[in-house]
Amino acid sequence: MFTPGSKYFVGLTGLSLVAAILYAFLVNPNDLGSIALLGVAVAAGLIAGFAFLTRDGDTESATESVAANAEVPTPSFWPIVFALGAALTLLGLATNAIVFVVGLGVLVGGGLEWTIQNWADRASADGRYNSEVRARAIGALDYPGLAAVALGVIAYLFSRIMLTASKSGAAVIFIVVAAAVLVVGVLISTKPAFRGRASLLVTTFAAVLLAGAGIASAINGERSELAVVAEEKPYSASHRECGEEASDHYDKHAGNRVSSRSAVIATVIVEDGKLYAQMIGLKDKLNTVSVPRSNVTNILFRNLDKEEYRLVANLGTRTVAGTDVVEKIGTCTQLAGENQEQLLTINIPKSSSAENKYSFEVPGIEGKIEVVVP
Amino acid sequence: MESRNVKSSRRRLVASVSAIAAAVVLAGCAKNAPQDTFQPKGANAQMIQDLQVIVFPIAGVVGVIVLALAGYIFYRFRDRGQAIPVQSHGKPVVEITLTIIPALILSVVGVFTFRTIFDLAETKDTEMIINVTGQQWWWEYDYPTQEGISQPIITSGQLVIPVGTKVLLRETSRDVIHSYWIPALNGKKDAVPGRIHLLRLEADKPGIYAGQCTEFCGLSHANMRMETVALSKADFAKWVANQQKAYVSPAEGTKAKEGEAVFLNQCSRCHQVNGIKDANGKAVISAPDENVYSGAAPNLSHLMSRNTFAGAMFDLVIDKCRDDVWNASSEEFGAKYLAGVSSDCLNQKDLRAWLRNAPGMKPMYADPAKLEKSNGLYRGMPNLGLTEDDIDKLVAYLITLK
Repeated sequence: MFTPGSKYFVGLTGLSLVAAILYAFLVNPNDLGSIALLGVAVAAGLIAGFAFLTRDGDTESATESVAANAEVPTPSFWPIVFALGAALTLLGLATNAIVFVVGLGVLVGGGLEWTIQNWADRASADGRYNSEVRARAIGALDYPGLAAVALGVIAYLFSRIMLTASKSGAAVIFIVVAAAVLVVGVLISTKPAFRGRASLLVTTFAAVLLAGAGIASAINGERSELAVVAEEKPYSASHRECGEEASDHYDKHAGNRVSSRSAVIATVIVEDGKLYAQMIGLKDKLNTVSVPRSNVTNILFRNLDKEEYRLVANLGTRTVAGTDVVEKIGTCTQLAGENQEQLLTINIPKSSSAENKYSFEVPGIEGKIEVVVP
Repeated sequence: MESRNVKSSRRRLVASVSAIAAAVVLAGCAKNAPQDTFQPKGANAQMIQDLQVIVFPIAGVVGVIVLALAGYIFYRFRDRGQAIPVQSHGKPVVEITLTIIPALILSVVGVFTFRTIFDLAETKDTEMIINVTGQQWWWEYDYPTQEGISQPIITSGQLVIPVGTKVLLRETSRDVIHSYWIPALNGKKDAVPGRIHLLRLEADKPGIYAGQCTEFCGLSHANMRMETVALSKADFAKWVANQQKAYVSPAEGTKAKEGEAVFLNQCSRCHQVNGIKDANGKAVISAPDENVYSGAAPNLSHLMSRNTFAGAMFDLVIDKCRDDVWNASSEEFGAKYLAGVSSDCLNQKDLRAWLRNAPGMKPMYADPAKLEKSNGLYRGMPNLGLTEDDIDKLVAYLITLK
């Protein structure tokens, strides 16, 4: 069974694996942190495996148990699962991240099961006892593991359906499915007759329907409006709609609270219909701000008026390569309501001059803030 | 025989320790130590000094007691083949006492320390702001428009401030983390890319105060120096006026004019000289962002109004002239500094060597064959392959940039 050392390392393996997965999904899969956490999981898993096999170095019992069951290896399909996981992982490295993550899951799951199986086979010469040992060691994880996979598949297929259906259609589907689940659940709990073959039939039907609809939806792709949004780059300067009016896409979900105040070189403020700037250390209201060249610089925009406004940075012009077309370079914040703030991050590589001027302005408000880049 | 050997080795040990201790003590007597942290020359550095005179004695006494006790215990209970004493779990009275005493000491130290930290972080009474930007391996200073400065000013190497003025530095970095430290005027403050960190300086008297980047920032970290020049308010106004002077192109037919052409051809890709125009009369805007990893190179508009170059690693003036400025009295300092670099005082040797082969003078990542990691961008100034004739012309031109 679990020896004290193996318990610790199994726990560490699980914890670091969960941490690695969460880090990869929530922070950045390419970040060094996720690789380090995965490394910890692999290393801890390896040590856990050794601890299992050697029963924490209790050589006497390990020798006895190996000798006792040396002739009764249990047939296992876990090596095949492990090999499949390895193949998928490698394939994922060469193709895409989803295949890699799935492969990694299969690899780790298969390896864990294989290790436990092998360890349990050495517990005694009695196959039934060994099976119980295996069940006690990892049996408790079988159903949760399978359930997690099943739930993941259901969530993925269902999400494809919801992303393909129209907005109102998705709402109807959601209501119908939720009602059906509720009804079937009530029937199973209140009608004993429904718990046998009938519930199996309903579940199978629902699974086939979900699989069919989900696969069809995945092939069909997301509904047109979502596809359009996905293709757009809402944070690229060229796409931004920096006018006075609200933009359909750009002004959605505006985050109007700013936390990085210690990284702000100037604050541009709209107050009583007037535009001015402030810089830490200077008490006056300014109409000129200095911004270091070739450096990522944050400007805080604060709107103290009732109307919604946005800050626009006019960063000169450029000639489109291979043409005579001259286009404006600029960027802007989203619309900010009363007492709301937005952060504008700019990087101006060239000094300002009489011929090359930069400015901040707020559509709908008179005046400009001159931006000097020394 | 054995006893004699033991005595001899003890004597050697005592002699060695004494020699090291003497060297450490004597090092504190150095006269030419412009970066001495115990010689404050301004209000902020004085606050730190006031804290040090409280904390250092306390820490010193505690340190001596702990080390003496440890030494005594090591010696008194050293292994002489005696039986291992009975092991006990400890004494609560001693443990509690030894916890309470340090806690009390730290509380006292903490009160003074926190008060000083908050005092040093004060910005409400700021009288002047200067943006300070670090990059490998030099500092850029730009003075936004404010009272007394009608047009923005940009310079590097030497930060110029008025005496008795609460100056707020707004520090950031273009590449890696650097740290700004003028020991005589305040503690150190990191310059971090993407952030604005505040550091206040105030100098009591006119003079030059030396500093050093104190955050390891790459190959030439040790050569990333800085100097703060404090001028009287009247002299500072003169310095501002000079920095805002319009560019005057050298007279036609002079060597300086030829040097301007060399500058336009070789140097203006990275170095800006405000107001310089090309042969067609078009204003030239440098593009260090296309050539240098940090995206910036020192603005040379008034190069000869400062005394250093190459990240303050080299003096622009010869030793005699440098000493003349550094050692000037408070009354004379301003005039001597504002005189700038004359032809007689120009440190031609280092300046020419720099123009001839900059990477040979200061370690930099400037080998064109080894710039893969920075996408072909230099970290520092490359060897431009200038001819001696070009260098002559450039020196003649640069001396005009006052």
